[in-house]
Amino acid sequence: MSKSKRDRSIPRWPLLWLAAALLFTLPPMFGSLATWVPCLFLLTLALKFWMEPKGYRLRFAALKLILAALALAAIFVSYGSLNGIESGVSLLVVLMSLKVLEAHTAREFQVMVMMGWVLCLCGFFLSQDFGIALCLLTAFALLLVALIQFHRGSSPGAFWPPLGTTCKLLAQAAPLVILLFLLFPRINTSFRFEFRAIRSASSGFSDRLSPGSIAALANSSDIAFRAEFPGSKTRPPGPMYWRGVVMWHCEGWEWRAPYTPAPVSQSSKLGGPGGRALPGQSPSGKAIRQRITIAPHGAHWMFALDRPFEIPPGAMLARGNYLWSVQPIRKARRYEVISSPEVGVNELTPHERQLALELPASISPAVRELAQSWVAQGSNPRATVNNALQFFRTHGFRYSLSPGEYKKNDLDQFLFHRRTGFCEHYAASFATLMRLAGVPARVVVGYLGGEYNDLGRFFLVRQADTHAWCEVWLPDSGWTRVDPTGVVAPGRASLDLNSFLERRIASGQMESRRNAFVTQLARSAIFTNIRLGWETLNYEWDTRLLGFDADVQEVLLESIGTASRGPLFLITEILVVVSALLVIYFGWMQLRTRSRVDRLKALYERFCRKAARLGVRRDPWEGPSDFSMRAAQLLPNESERIRQISNAYIALRYAPEPGSIILDSFAKEVSAFEAHRR
Amino acid sequence: MKARKVPLVYPTPSFAGLLFVLAAMWYAASSQNSAAVYLLLFALTAAFLVSIPHTLINLAGVTITLESVQSAFVGQEVSLPVEVTNGSRATRHGINLALSGSSRESERIDYIPAGNASRVTLRFPARQRGEHKVGTLCLTSVYPLGFIRFLKKFASSQTYIIYPKPAGDPQLPSNPAPTLHNRPQTEIRDGDDFAGARAYVPGESQRHIDWKAVARGQPLMTKQFAAEAEGAVHLDFSALRFANVEERLSQLVLWVIEAERARRPYGLRLPGTVISPAVGQSHFHQCLRALSLFQVGTVRRA
Repeated sequence: MSKSKRDRSIPRWPLLWLAAALLFTLPPMFGSLATWVPCLFLLTLALKFWMEPKGYRLRFAALKLILAALALAAIFVSYGSLNGIESGVSLLVVLMSLKVLEAHTAREFQVMVMMGWVLCLCGFFLSQDFGIALCLLTAFALLLVALIQFHRGSSPGAFWPPLGTTCKLLAQAAPLVILLFLLFPRINTSFRFEFRAIRSASSGFSDRLSPGSIAALANSSDIAFRAEFPGSKTRPPGPMYWRGVVMWHCEGWEWRAPYTPAPVSQSSKLGGPGGRALPGQSPSGKAIRQRITIAPHGAHWMFALDRPFEIPPGAMLARGNYLWSVQPIRKARRYEVISSPEVGVNELTPHERQLALELPASISPAVRELAQSWVAQGSNPRATVNNALQFFRTHGFRYSLSPGEYKKNDLDQFLFHRRTGFCEHYAASFATLMRLAGVPARVVVGYLGGEYNDLGRFFLVRQADTHAWCEVWLPDSGWTRVDPTGVVAPGRASLDLNSFLERRIASGQMESRRNAFVTQLARSAIFTNIRLGWETLNYEWDTRLLGFDADVQEVLLESIGTASRGPLFLITEILVVVSALLVIYFGWMQLRTRSRVDRLKALYERFCRKAARLGVRRDPWEGPSDFSMRAAQLLPNESERIRQISNAYIALRYAPEPGSIILDSFAKEVSAFEAHRR
Repeated sequence: MKARKVPLVYPTPSFAGLLFVLAAMWYAASSQNSAAVYLLLFALTAAFLVSIPHTLINLAGVTITLESVQSAFVGQEVSLPVEVTNGSRATRHGINLALSGSSRESERIDYIPAGNASRVTLRFPARQRGEHKVGTLCLTSVYPLGFIRFLKKFASSQTYIIYPKPAGDPQLPSNPAPTLHNRPQTEIRDGDDFAGARAYVPGESQRHIDWKAVARGQPLMTKQFAAEAEGAVHLDFSALRFANVEERLSQLVLWVIEAERARRPYGLRLPGTVISPAVGQSHFHQCLRALSLFQVGTVRRA
C-alpha cells in the first residue's frame, strides 16, 4: 500500500503477466537468432521469479557492466559482427535480460514493459508471418495487462479484472487503430536501413541447379507464393507450370542462370498472340490474369504461369521470358501479371542459338554417343525429342524423392546405371542431351501445381512444389516445353507434390515416410478444414494487411477524394476524429458511472435555478420543504408543480430504496417546470 | 471539500519513454514501409490515447473530506486524517493523495469500491511553529497505463497550529509572581503525600495513573500528591535570560506542560498578551496557542 513497499519489489502478479507477454515475443527469435540468446532470456525470466520474493537483484554497477560486456562479446563471436539486424536484436534481448534481473521499482517496471514493446517491434523485423504476428500482437496485449495489473496494486482479482480492462481498452482502441491504419499518412523516410536477407536459406531455389537441390526441398512446407485468378471462377485448364527462372548455362549436369539477366529483346517480346497487350485492354486468346502474393525470399525471382507477357511494375522480362524483380524481394509483395500458354517466341537470334547450344567439354563419350544415336534416327528436332523421351520411358527410370547422392557431373552413373532421380535430374540431363543432339535447349525452374483453397479461393504453392523442366527450340513452334519428369512420373504435372506423393503411397507405389496414423490424421476432413482455414487467414493477413502499403493507401485516398489535400490535412482530420472519439468515450463512461445522487442533485439545482429566474431564490440554508412552501406562496400559479417536484425530490433523496423510474419522471417534471409557463 | 473544476494533466516520467518507443516504431515502419509495424505502432498509440479518458474518469466522483487536525509540537509529526470517498458507481483504482507543494508526503490507495470511502492519514514533520493552513490537497491518478497523470485539487481553508518545541529546564521557576499576586511561594517539587485523584490529562506522564482504578473499570485517573497543591506560577517572557525568542518560547512551552502536569495554576505573560493563572485543557491550549502565534502574526501555509 505504501510507496516504499512498491519501490522495494515488484509484486508477483504483474511480474507473471510480464513474463507471459515476454514468452510470446520469443517465437520469432528461435530460428533466426543464435539459440543461446532466447535461451538466456528464458533463464533470466525464471531466475527473476526465484529472486524477487527473496529480494535478490543485480545491484552492483561493476557486475552489470561486466555482464553487459560479456554479452557483447558473445554476440560478436556468434555473428561475427555487431552490424545487422540479428546482432542488434540479440543485443536488445540480452540487455532486456539484464534489466529483468536488475529491475525492482515502479519506474523500472514501466521501463520493462516498454522494452517488451520494442521486442515486439524487433520480432516484426525477424518475421511477419501470420502466426508470428499473432504471437507478437498477443505479447503487446499482455504487456498492457501487466501494466494495468501493476497499477491496480492490491485491488482484488489479479486475473480476470486486468484482462477485462485490457479488452475494454483494446475494443475502444480498435476504431482508432483502423482509422490510423487506413488514413495516417505513410511518409517514406529517406534514411533507409537495409536488413540483411535473413530468410534466403528457406527460399526455394538458387540460381544454380544441381542434382539433389530440388529434392532437398520436397519436405519443405514453406510458402513460396499464393495465386488468385481474378475474373475467372475456375482454374486454368492444363497443368500449372509457374515459370521462375530460365537457366542458359550448362556445366555438364549442372545448370546455372545468368547472374544479371539480359532483358528480352523487343522483337521477341512482340511474339505473343496479338503482340503485347496494352493495360486495360482485355488480352485475347487464352490470356490468364493472375494476382500473386509472393513470400519474401531476398532474391529477384518472381513467378507467373507459363509464359508471362504483361509484366507488373518493378519487374522486367528477362531473356527466356521470365520475370525478374528490379529490387530484391525482402517483404511480401503482391502483383498482377497476365500470362498466356500460347506466347511463343518465333525468332531465335544467332546469339541465343549459340547460348542455347553451349556445352562444356567434360561430357563423357558414352553420353555423347547416346545423344548422337537419337539424331541418327530422325533428322528433324521433334523426332529427336521424342526419341529421347522414349529412352527415358523405356529404360527403367524411376522417380524418387531420395535418389541418393550423385558425384559431381556423374551423368553416366545416372543415365546408364542407377536411373533414379527427381525432376532436376531429369530436366538437367534431358537438356544437356538435347544440346548434345544439336537441339537448342534450356532448363526452366519454377513451381508445378499448387493446392487449391476453397475457403479463400486461391492456390497455395509451397517450396515443396519446386520443379524443373526443359524447353527446346523447334523451328515450327519456337520454344516448346518438354517435361521429362512427366514421362517418368505420369500424373505429377496435374497435382501438387504432396497430393501426388499421397496418391502414390495410397496405390502402393511408394512407401510412406511418415507414421500411418499421422498421415491418416493429416488427411482427415476436420484437420484439412482447419489447415485450409488457417492458410486462408494467412493469405488474408499477407494480402489485406501486409499488402496495405503507401501505394495502396494512395489509391484508397484518391477514391475518397482526400489525396490532393496533403498529409497535413489528413493529420488534422485524424486529430479531430480522435479527440471527438475520446470525448465520446469519456462522456459515456461518465454517464455510466455517475452516481444516482449526483444526478438527482443536478436536477434539483436546475429546478432551483429555474425558480430563481422566476424571482424565488433559494437561500443556502433553506431546506427543500421550506423552500417549496415559500415558492408555492410566491408563485401561486406554479404551486402544484413546485410541491410535486419538492415531494419527489425529498422522496428520492431520503427514501431508503427509490427506483430509477421515479428519477426519470422527476427529470421530466423538472424540465417541464418553466417551459410550461411560457 | 470542493474540487477545482477541471483536473490538470501532466505527463509522467515514463511518458518520455513511450514517446521514444513510438518514435522508434514509426521510424522502423516508415523506412521499411511495413504494414505490420504500422499496425503495432497504431495499436500502441490508440491504446495510449484511449487510456487518457480512463485516467480522467478514474478521478470522477472521488471527493475528500479532511478531518480535524491535531496540533503538534515542532519536531513531532503532523497527521492529517483524510477520508477519500468514491461517490461513483464504479471501483476506482490507484489513487494517490498528496499535499500540494510537497510531493513526498503522499499516500496511495489501491482501490475504493463504488460508494465506499477509504481513510488515509498524511503524515509530515512539523517544522515551524505558528498557525498553518492545510492548503491544497491533490488527488492524482495514473491508472490504467501510467503515462499520464491527472491531478484534482481540493482547496481547504482549515488550519492547524504547531506549538514551539518544548526545551530547556523542566524545573518550574521559583520566582514569586511579580506585583499581581503578592503571595509567598514555596519551592516546587513533587510531594509524597497522596492527596486524591483527578481526571487524566492526555500527554501527561503515565506514572501517576491510578491503574488499580482502571482495572476496576473506572476512567483514567491521575493520583495527585500533596506537593501539587501549591501557589500559582507566573511564566514571564521578559524575565527569561535567553537572548533568542525561540529559546524563550521553548522554555515557556516546557514550563506550561510541566505546570499543567503538576496541576499547578500557571499564568503567562508575553509582550502584549497576559493570560491569568488557571489550570485545565482549554487554558493549556490557550497558552500554547499564544506561544505559537507569538510574533508570527500571519497564518502560514503548510
